[in-house]
Amino acid sequence: MKRFIKQPFCIIAILSLVFLASCSKDSIEPDPSVDYIQLGSGFATGTSTHVEVYATDSAFTGYNKLYVLLKDSASGRPVDNAVISLNPMMAMTGMSHSAPKENPVSNIAINHFFPCSVSFIMPSTAGTWTLGVQVQNLENGKSGTASVTIGVKDPVYAKMFSFKSLADNSTTYFVGYVEPSRPIVGINDLELVIYKKQTMMTFPADSSLSVLVTPEMPTMNHGSPNNIDPVHIINGHYKGKVNFTMTGLWRLNLKLKSGATVVDSTHYIDLTF
Amino acid sequence: MKQLIFLVALVHLLVPGHTQVKPFNGKPTDSIPVVQLEEVKVYGLTKNTSQQLLNYYTANQAATTEDILARLPELNMIRRSSYGMEPVIRTYSSGQSDLLIDGMRIHGACTDKMDPASIYVEPQNLQSVQIQTGHGFQSGSVIGGSVDLKLAEAIFEDSRRWSGSVSSGFQSAANAWYETGKLNYAGHRLAVMTNISWRKAGNYRSGGGARIPYSQYEKLNYGITALYKLNPRWTAKADLLLDDGWNIGYPALPMDVGYAGARIAALSLRNTSRMGKWQQTELKIYANSIRHFMDDSHRINVPMHMDMPGESRTYGGYASSKLIINRSWHLNLKADIASTFLKASMTMYQPGQLPMYMLTWPDNSTLQSGLGIVFSKRIDSASVFTLSTRVDLFRKVLTSQVAKDQLSVLNNPVNNINRVLKNIAVEYSCRFNEQLKIKTILSYSERMPTSSELYGFYLFNAFDGYDYIGNTLLKQENAWKAEANISGRSGIFQYGLTGYVSRINQYIMGIYQPGLSTMTIGANGVKQHVNLPYAMIAGVEASLIVQPDHSLWLINTTRYSYGEDHLKNALPMIPPVRNTSSLRKVIGPCAVQAELELATAQNRVSSMAMERKTSAYAIAHLRLMYSSTLAGNQFRIDGGVENLLDQAYREHLDWGGILRPGRNVYLQFTFQF
Repeated sequence: MKRFIKQPFCIIAILSLVFLASCSKDSIEPDPSVDYIQLGSGFATGTSTHVEVYATDSAFTGYNKLYVLLKDSASGRPVDNAVISLNPMMAMTGMSHSAPKENPVSNIAINHFFPCSVSFIMPSTAGTWTLGVQVQNLENGKSGTASVTIGVKDPVYAKMFSFKSLADNSTTYFVGYVEPSRPIVGINDLELVIYKKQTMMTFPADSSLSVLVTPEMPTMNHGSPNNIDPVHIINGHYKGKVNFTMTGLWRLNLKLKSGATVVDSTHYIDLTF
Repeated sequence: MKQLIFLVALVHLLVPGHTQVKPFNGKPTDSIPVVQLEEVKVYGLTKNTSQQLLNYYTANQAATTEDILARLPELNMIRRSSYGMEPVIRTYSSGQSDLLIDGMRIHGACTDKMDPASIYVEPQNLQSVQIQTGHGFQSGSVIGGSVDLKLAEAIFEDSRRWSGSVSSGFQSAANAWYETGKLNYAGHRLAVMTNISWRKAGNYRSGGGARIPYSQYEKLNYGITALYKLNPRWTAKADLLLDDGWNIGYPALPMDVGYAGARIAALSLRNTSRMGKWQQTELKIYANSIRHFMDDSHRINVPMHMDMPGESRTYGGYASSKLIINRSWHLNLKADIASTFLKASMTMYQPGQLPMYMLTWPDNSTLQSGLGIVFSKRIDSASVFTLSTRVDLFRKVLTSQVAKDQLSVLNNPVNNINRVLKNIAVEYSCRFNEQLKIKTILSYSERMPTSSELYGFYLFNAFDGYDYIGNTLLKQENAWKAEANISGRSGIFQYGLTGYVSRINQYIMGIYQPGLSTMTIGANGVKQHVNLPYAMIAGVEASLIVQPDHSLWLINTTRYSYGEDHLKNALPMIPPVRNTSSLRKVIGPCAVQAELELATAQNRVSSMAMERKTSAYAIAHLRLMYSSTLAGNQFRIDGGVENLLDQAYREHLDWGGILRPGRNVYLQFTFQF
C-alpha cells in the first residue's frame, strides 16, 4: 500500500482514469449543453446490439429530431459504425400506417449518436407508435431490427399540420415546424419541413411548393418586419428567416403555393417564448 | 434668500445706465443670455431683456421651473401634461439642443420624453438659466443651442451663521399645494445650503370649468450643496440633488408615470480669481441616474396593461478655463467628456400567456468627448470679434447581445457608431452708441442623432399616433445659421430685436413606412427616422421695455417662428405669433403686476405630423405682492389670479388638444429668518 502511494505513476494513472471517465460521459452527447431524454429502447435481435432512442424533448406530434445510440449488449460499449434505417409504424384498430422519417445520413456516429428524425403525424392516443430501427452493425457485421415503443403527445401548440391540396383536392401534405427551436427576440432561422403522403406507408419529402410566412402576434394584432420566406434547400427542408420583435405568443401564418396556385392558406403554427 | 432685497435689486437693475457687459460665473456673457434667479446675486449680472423679464415673471413664488422657462423669449415648451413640459429652444427639437444641469449632461429615462431634465430642478435649486442660441459650443455639438440650469449655491454671509426661509402656498385650479424650506449655514470657510420642496396637485380645472383627468402629480425635491474655501483663490463645491415624483398624470398621452426619480451628484473645484493668465478655471466631475416607470393602471379602457420602465445613467466631467493672451485677446477653453447609458423596456401582460417583453431603448451607451475653444478679440472699445470652434467625438454602442439581436430585426447595422462632429461660428458685435448695438453671428454646426432616433424600437408618439423606429444609418444633421441682433435704449425706452435663419441639412424626421406593421394597438402606422435633404427654420424675437419712472415698468415681448421642409411643407411644432405684456407698479411695500398674453391662430400646420390647428387666444393675469418685516424677520405674501377671465385656450405646442388651466387663484406666504 505504502509503496503504491509512493508511485507517482499510479496516482497519475488513477487521476487520468477519473478524468477520462468524466470526459467520456460528457462527450457522449452531440451538444453537451442540452439534456437528452431517452424515449425508448430495445434489442436489435441477432445483432448483440442494444438500441436507445433519445431526443431533446418528449416525443410530440410533429417533426422530432431523434438520436439513436447503439450499445454492444455484452460490453455496453457504444457502437459508432452502423447503417440504421427507421420504420415508424402507427398501429390502430383495424389499420396501421407509417410516418415521414429521415434516416441517419452517415454510417458513423457523432459523439456516439446517430442523428435522424421522425415526423409523428398523430399522437399515441389513437393507437401505438412503434419505431422499427433496423441496424446493420458494421463493427460486428450483424444485422437485425429493434422495435421501440414511443409515446407521442400533442404539443400545447401544434407543430405540424396536414392539408389536402386545393390544386387537385386529393394530395395530402404534411408541414412540420423545425426551427427556431429556441426562439429569440431578433432574427431567427426559420426551417419547415414538407412531406407528401404517397401511400399509407410512404411519405416522400416535397420540394415543389413555395411557402409564404407572415408572423403575427394574435393578442396584439401586429406582425414583424423584414422576414424572409423559406425556400426549399434539401430533402423537403425549407429555410428562411423569421423576426420576432418581442417575447410572447407568436403565430406564423402560412400560405403554400404550387406555382401560382395557392394550395393551402388556412393553417398556422403558434409558438411562445 | 432675501426677497425684499430682490425688490430693491430689481429697482437697481432697471435703472438706466447699467447695460455694460460684465462677466458672470466665469462665462463670456456678451454672447450668452444669462438669466439670474438667485435674488441677492442680481447685482453683478449682465443686464439684458431676458433677465428683466424673468424678474417680472418669477414674481409668482409658486412658479415651477417650467413656468419660468416658458416665459423666456428664446424658449418654447412642448406640453403633454401640467408637469414635465419639454423646453425647446426656438423651434429646434430637443434632440437639436442641449439641456444641462449646472454644466452636467443628463438624459431623461423616458422614451416618450415625459421627463426632460428640467423637471428635476425646482426654482429653489436654480440660480440662473444660461441660454446659448447662436452657438452652443461651450456645452456640446448642437445646432439649436443650449440651456444650462445653473444650480443655486450656499451663501457666505458675514452677518449671520444660520439663515433660511419657509414658504407655503395654494393654487386653486389644481387644488395644488407648494411647500418649501431652505436652510443656509455660513461659516468662515464652509457654507452649506439645504433645501426641500414638495408639490402636490390634483386634476386641474381648465378654462370654462371642465376638470382635466390625469393631470395630477406629486413630487419631492431635496438637495444639499456645500462650498469650501481651500484658499483665497480656490473653492471646492459639492452638490447633491434628489428628486422623486409620483403619480404624475399625462392627459395627452395614453400612460401616466408611477414614479420618476433623479439622483444628481457633482464635485467641483474652481478658481474665481480674475488675476493671472489663467482665470475662472473650473474642474468638475459628476454622476447622475434617473429611473422612470410609466404606469397605465389608473386608465380605463386600456386594451392591455403594460409596464414601461426606463433608466439612464451618466458619468462625466469637464475642465474649463479662460486664457488671457493680452489686453485684447483671450481664449475660453472647455474640454468635456460624458458617458450615458440608456435602457428602457416594455412588458405587456395577457392573462394565460407568457409576458410580452421587448426593449424600447435597446441597451445603449454614448461616449462623448469634446473640446471647445472660443477666441475673443476686442477690436476697439466698441467692437468685439469672436471665433468659436468645437470638435466632438461620439461613440454609440449597443451594449448587449439582446439589444443587438432585437434591433437587427429592422435590418439596420448594429455595430458601433463613431462620428466626429465639427462646429465653427464667428460673431461680431459692435456698440455704436447708447441707442444702437448690433451683433451678428454666422455659424456651422453639427449634431449627433439621439438614441431614440438611432435605436428607438416602436416608440409610440401620441402626437401623430405613429410608432417610431430608429435608424442606425442616420447621418448627423448639420446647420448653417445666421443671427442678428440690434438693441439699445433711448429715454424711457429700451428695445431689442433679434432675427435668425437656419438651414438644417440632413434634417432628421420620422417618415411613414407603409410596409411596416404597427406595434401599438390602434396606432396609425410606423414611421422611421430618416434624413430629409434639408429644412429651414427662421424667426424674429422683439422686446420693448418702457420705464416712465422708478416705480412703473411695461415690458412687451413678441416672437414669431417659421419652419418648412425641403418640399416647403410646414414643420410641426412651430408656434404662432406670440406677444406678452407685463405692467408693474410698485407702491410702497406692495407691487401690482398686470399681464396679458396674446397668440394668433396657427393654421399653418404639418399634415405629415397630423398636427391640429390652434385658435388665437388672449389671457390676462393679475399679481399682487406685499413684503414687510415681522419680529426682525422678513415675510412676503404673493397672491394673484392667473387666466383672470377663465378663458378656454391651449397653446399650439400643447399635445392632444388638452386645454390649459382656467382661472387660478394663488396665494403663497414666504417667511425668512
